[in-house]
Amino acid sequence: MNEYMGIAVCFLLAGGLAGLMVLLAAKLGPKKPSAEKLAPFECGKDPIDIPLGRLAIRFYLIAILFILFDVEVVFLYPWAVVYRELGMLGLVEMSVFLGVLLVGFVYAWDNKALEWK
Amino acid sequence: MTEQMLIGVTLLYPEMILIGAALLMLLIARRIRGTRIGLGLTVTAGIAAAISAASGLSAETTTGFSGMIVQDAFSQFFEVLIAAALVLGALLSYRKEPDEERTPPEYYALLLLATTGMLMAVSAIDLMTLYLGLELTTICSYVLVGLRVERPAANEAAIKYFLMGSFASALLLFGISLIYGLTGTTELAAIAVALEGADANPLLLVGLALLSAGLAFKISAVPFHSWAPDAYQGADSPVAAFMAAGPKAAGLAVMARVGLVAFQHQSEFMGLILVSIAALSIVVGSLLSLSQTDMRRLLAYSAIAHAGYALMGLAAGSPEGAAATMTYAFFYVFMTIGAFGVVVALGERGETIEGFRGLSTQRPGLAAITLLFLLALTGIPLTSGFTAKFGVILAAVRADQLPLALLAVSCSVISAFVYMRIAVLMYMSDPAEDSSSTVSPGTSPALVHLALGLAAAVTLVGGILPGILSEWTVFP
Repeated sequence: MNEYMGIAVCFLLAGGLAGLMVLLAAKLGPKKPSAEKLAPFECGKDPIDIPLGRLAIRFYLIAILFILFDVEVVFLYPWAVVYRELGMLGLVEMSVFLGVLLVGFVYAWDNKALEWK
Repeated sequence: MTEQMLIGVTLLYPEMILIGAALLMLLIARRIRGTRIGLGLTVTAGIAAAISAASGLSAETTTGFSGMIVQDAFSQFFEVLIAAALVLGALLSYRKEPDEERTPPEYYALLLLATTGMLMAVSAIDLMTLYLGLELTTICSYVLVGLRVERPAANEAAIKYFLMGSFASALLLFGISLIYGLTGTTELAAIAVALEGADANPLLLVGLALLSAGLAFKISAVPFHSWAPDAYQGADSPVAAFMAAGPKAAGLAVMARVGLVAFQHQSEFMGLILVSIAALSIVVGSLLSLSQTDMRRLLAYSAIAHAGYALMGLAAGSPEGAAATMTYAFFYVFMTIGAFGVVVALGERGETIEGFRGLSTQRPGLAAITLLFLLALTGIPLTSGFTAKFGVILAAVRADQLPLALLAVSCSVISAFVYMRIAVLMYMSDPAEDSSSTVSPGTSPALVHLALGLAAAVTLVGGILPGILSEWTVFP
């Protein structure tokens, strides 16, 4: 149980500090409400909207490519941590993995998936 | 550690050849014109993979990657068979006019990767590698079916196949997770040890049923067959030929390993599942093929029935039964590729059975070879179909499954009517006036003829020398 103590303390501190800041802002800050300010915040979009508008398909392509090549980083981090223990074998394995991904990247490039037009 | 890894790598030479060719194909996809390079690369890689799988053909069993992959006579047999299916499928997809409906280079990359998945699956001795291999194959198959994006039928087929396929994969994974929860391992041999003497735990039975359902989908056995006719009809004929042959052989190999290794102590329940799937597939496949007028749908239902026949050997639960299934899978691959190859050779005309009307007067050679494949699919002596069916029915009789054997024999008679209907159209009817004027009998490329010839040769030799495979069909 003891090894989890640090996490609990961290949670308490973080929660306490964040709560304190919100509390102070609510107590001390000046309040001049308007309709715009009171609306729920959602990145500059209307929070409630009828979804009739169209979204360019290009975004999906970019999102898929991002996920594909983002996942490789997930594998690279643990590999980098134990790189010394793995030695030459680890290097070869990771090169094969990256090589396969690189082919995918070249293929995406070849098919003009990276051009925004 | 390093040395063990290297032994594992040597077991994957066939897979590595295919993956290398597929990656090369993707690299040059936008840099080549025409499809000859892709075809040549695929056929070369397929032959190289077959040779590398067959070399070192020995009785000794080597495992690699901490018991994930095995190389034994069983895996080598299926690896050679699946590589042969790849070569024949690629040869069939050759087209004369490269500009008209040009086959994209990605097609060959997908064929190669699908084959890689099958090779992985047949040499897997762990449920996880087995699942990965099957999934690689299935995902490539979805794309292959829907490759012609401009054709609505292909889109529909691909979506249907994808929806049902992902559902079946989920069932398979769920079954694997239940088995893992019970036994604490995903290794096939370790599962058998853990389940030795275990009583019929309901959780085990559910897991086993889900696992069998997922695998039955891969070989399109009833009641998990409904995707096959749509997928085969929507896909290009060469793709349908490849999908009816390779993945089915791989699925049967996987079922043999799972049923006879992992669940060898549950043979009673496993036998019950396999017997019912086999009986249903034979009956439903034979009866539904009676009413088909589309050639690819007809062959799809025939493929469903053949999956049932092949399962009879596994249902017997003995090593001899498994050997009979191996023989069946081998000969079935060549006769089904041959039958689909005839559809490819006839082009648009071969897509309905009416197109075969009067073929013997227009193209006697092609008609004769079609007749050979039809006889083999029926199971007439002196073709490999008889050798194959004889083996599985004998296995069923030896395992005291007389009703199943009788059912198989009577459904063979029903299916004879289906296949002979086409033979009658070819040999005993005159060419229809209108059809010959709109769609000429035409000629087909030499490479398609080469594939048909190879398939016909195997079908004939297998019928004349029935014992030719007995040396290699050994279940470990």
